[in-house]
Amino acid sequence: MAIVEISGLKKEFGEVPAVNGVDLSIRQGELLVILGPSGCGKTTLMRLIAGLEQPTEGQISIAGQDVTDRPPRAREVAMVFQSYALYPHMTVFKNIAFPLKAQGRFTKGEIEEKVRWAAGVLGIEKLLDRKPRQLSGGERQRVALCRAMVKEPSVLLLDEPLSNLDAKLRASARDELQRFQRRLGITTIFVTHDQIEAMGLGDRIAVMLAGQVRQIGTPEQIYHNSGDTFVATFLGSPGMNLLDRGDYTLGFRPEHFHPSRGQRDTNGEAEFSYRVSRVENLGADTLLYGTVDGASEETTVIARIPSTMNLPVEIGASNHFMVQSEHLRFFDKRTGKRTDPRPW
Amino acid sequence: MVSPNPRFRYLTDRERVLGPLMLAPAVLYIIGLVGFPFLLSIAFSLSDVTVGDTSLDFVGLQNFRSIVRAPEFRRGLVNTVGFTLVAQLIILVLANILALVLSQNFRGKWLARTLLILPWATPVALGTLGWLWLLDSKFSPIDWVLVQLGLLGPNTLLGPGNHMNFLAREQLAMASVVAVQVWRLLPLATVILSAGLSSIDQELLDQAQVDGASFWRTLFQVKLPLIAPIMSISLLFSFIFIFSDLVVVFVLTRGGPVYYTMVLPVWAYFKGITGGSLAEGAAIALFLFPVLMAAAILILRTARRMEVA
Repeated sequence: MAIVEISGLKKEFGEVPAVNGVDLSIRQGELLVILGPSGCGKTTLMRLIAGLEQPTEGQISIAGQDVTDRPPRAREVAMVFQSYALYPHMTVFKNIAFPLKAQGRFTKGEIEEKVRWAAGVLGIEKLLDRKPRQLSGGERQRVALCRAMVKEPSVLLLDEPLSNLDAKLRASARDELQRFQRRLGITTIFVTHDQIEAMGLGDRIAVMLAGQVRQIGTPEQIYHNSGDTFVATFLGSPGMNLLDRGDYTLGFRPEHFHPSRGQRDTNGEAEFSYRVSRVENLGADTLLYGTVDGASEETTVIARIPSTMNLPVEIGASNHFMVQSEHLRFFDKRTGKRTDPRPW
Repeated sequence: MVSPNPRFRYLTDRERVLGPLMLAPAVLYIIGLVGFPFLLSIAFSLSDVTVGDTSLDFVGLQNFRSIVRAPEFRRGLVNTVGFTLVAQLIILVLANILALVLSQNFRGKWLARTLLILPWATPVALGTLGWLWLLDSKFSPIDWVLVQLGLLGPNTLLGPGNHMNFLAREQLAMASVVAVQVWRLLPLATVILSAGLSSIDQELLDQAQVDGASFWRTLFQVKLPLIAPIMSISLLFSFIFIFSDLVVVFVLTRGGPVYYTMVLPVWAYFKGITGGSLAEGAAIALFLFPVLMAAAILILRTARRMEVA
C-alpha cells in the first residue's frame, strides 16, 4: 500500500525549476532513498513532502489524504535535518517532548512515558538532562531521531542525517538506523548524495537529476540495470565505463573489466586492447586507468581488479582485456536511455 | 624607510607593545572624560562648594541628607525609575512586534525600515523639540486631529475643552515623557532584536514547523529564548539611556507641571548649575551611579549565563 503518493510535482524558485515533474509512490514501511548530486532538487522534494515549501504544481497525499495545501503540522510527518536542529536552549528531554507538547493532546504523564520509551529505543536515557551542546555528533543524531519518531509519524523524512558524522561513525550509524527502521517499521524517506549510503540502506532508491527522478528501483536494479548513462556513471565508484560506438554507447562496470586469460565461455565476451597509463592501489582493490583501442584517447577506461589477483599487466603496453557479454550494457547515443543489446 | 636601530624596528610586531599602545588613547580618554569628573563629583558631593565659593570644605554626608528630605528628590527618584520601567516594557513589546514584522518579506520593507530608524538618526534635543510642538497647549496638531475625529471638544469623550494640554496635566505630562522616550529608543531596540531574529538558524524554525508548533509556541518557546541574550543587551542600553537622560524632560516639561515629571538628572542640573549649588548637584547625580552600576552588572551577567546555557 502506498503511504505517500506524489504526482506531477513541480516547484519553481522564480524561473528556475528545482523539482520538475516528479511522480513517486512510497510503500508502507519501506525505506526509500532519494539519491542525487547536490542541486538536483532532492532536498526541495523532501521539503515539499514535509510542507515547508508549497509546490508550484502537482499533488502530495499522505496516508490517503491530500495534504498539498496543508501546513507541516497537519501532515503527520517528522523530519531530521542535516544539522539535527536541536533546540539549543532546551534539555534533551524537552527537545524530545516538544512535538508532543505542540500536539496538545497528551497529559504530562503521557508525554513523560512516551519520551522515556523513545529514549529507550535509541539508548539515550542517560542523556535526557543534558543540553545539546554537551552531546557528541552521534548522540545529537540519536536525539534528533528520537524527537522525530516520538510522535509516531506516518512518514519519517531524513535529510542527509549522517553527513555530519565522521567516516567511522557513519558506518555504525547507518547500521543502527537501518535496524531501528526495520524494528519500528516506520516509512522512511532518506535523502543523500552518498551512493554508498543509498546502496547500503535503501529498500528502493530513486535517483534524481535536475529536478527529475531518472530511475527508481532496488539497489541491485539501479546498479546492474541502470536505466540511462547518468545513473550508470553516478552509481559505483568509479562509475560505469562508457565507450562511444558510433550510433550507440557501450557500457561496462570497472569490476567486470578483466585481463583475458585465453579462456572462452559459451556466452562469449568482448575483447579489448587496453593500454594502462596509471595504477592506483586501494588496498583491497587495484584501479587501472587507461585507454582502449577503438575509442578516443580522451575516454578513460577504468578497471577494478581485486588485489588478490596477480596482475599480469604492463604499464604503457597493450594488454588483452575482456568483458563478459552479460555485463555489457547498451545505451541510445542521443537520449542516453538503455537499449537492447546489439552486436558489438 | 628602514629604522636605524634594529632593536626598535619590530617593536610594533610585538603584541605586548602594540596592544597597550593601541589601547592608550581610549584609556586616556576615559580617564580624562569619565574618571576625573567622577572623582571630582564625589569630592564635590562631600563638600560645600558652590558656584560662588569654589573652596572645597569637607561637610560629610550633609548634602545627601538635605537632598533626600526634599520632595523633588523623592518624586524625581520615583519618576526616574517609573519612566524607565514603563518605557522599557513598552519598548520591549513594540520592538519585538516590529522586529517580527521586519523579518517578513513585504513590499515597501526598505521604506518601513528607513522610517523606523529616523527617530534614532535625529538628535534627541531636536526630536524632543518636535514633540514639544506636537504636544503644545494651543497649537497641538494632535488636539486638532482629536477634535476632527469627534473625540475632543464639548460633549465628547475627552472633555469640553478644545485642548488636551498634554504637558500641563500631571498624568498626561508623565505619559508624554514616557511616549517620547519610547519613540526615540524603539529604533535601537528593534534593530538589535532584528539582528537577533535573523541570526536564528532557519533549520531550527523549519524544525519547529515540522514539530507542529503554532506561531505562538514558536515565538515563546523557540524564538524568544534564543534571542534572550541579545534582548538583555538591548534592555541594558535602553535602561541606561532612559535612566540617565536629561534632554527629554528638560526640553519637554522642565520637570513640570510643578515638579511632577522631575527626574534626577534634570534636578541635578537645576540644583547644581542653574541653582549654583555644585555640591548638592553632585550628590544628586551620584545617586544614579549605584543603580546604573547594579543594572549593568545584573544584565551583563544574565546575558552571559544565557549564552553559556
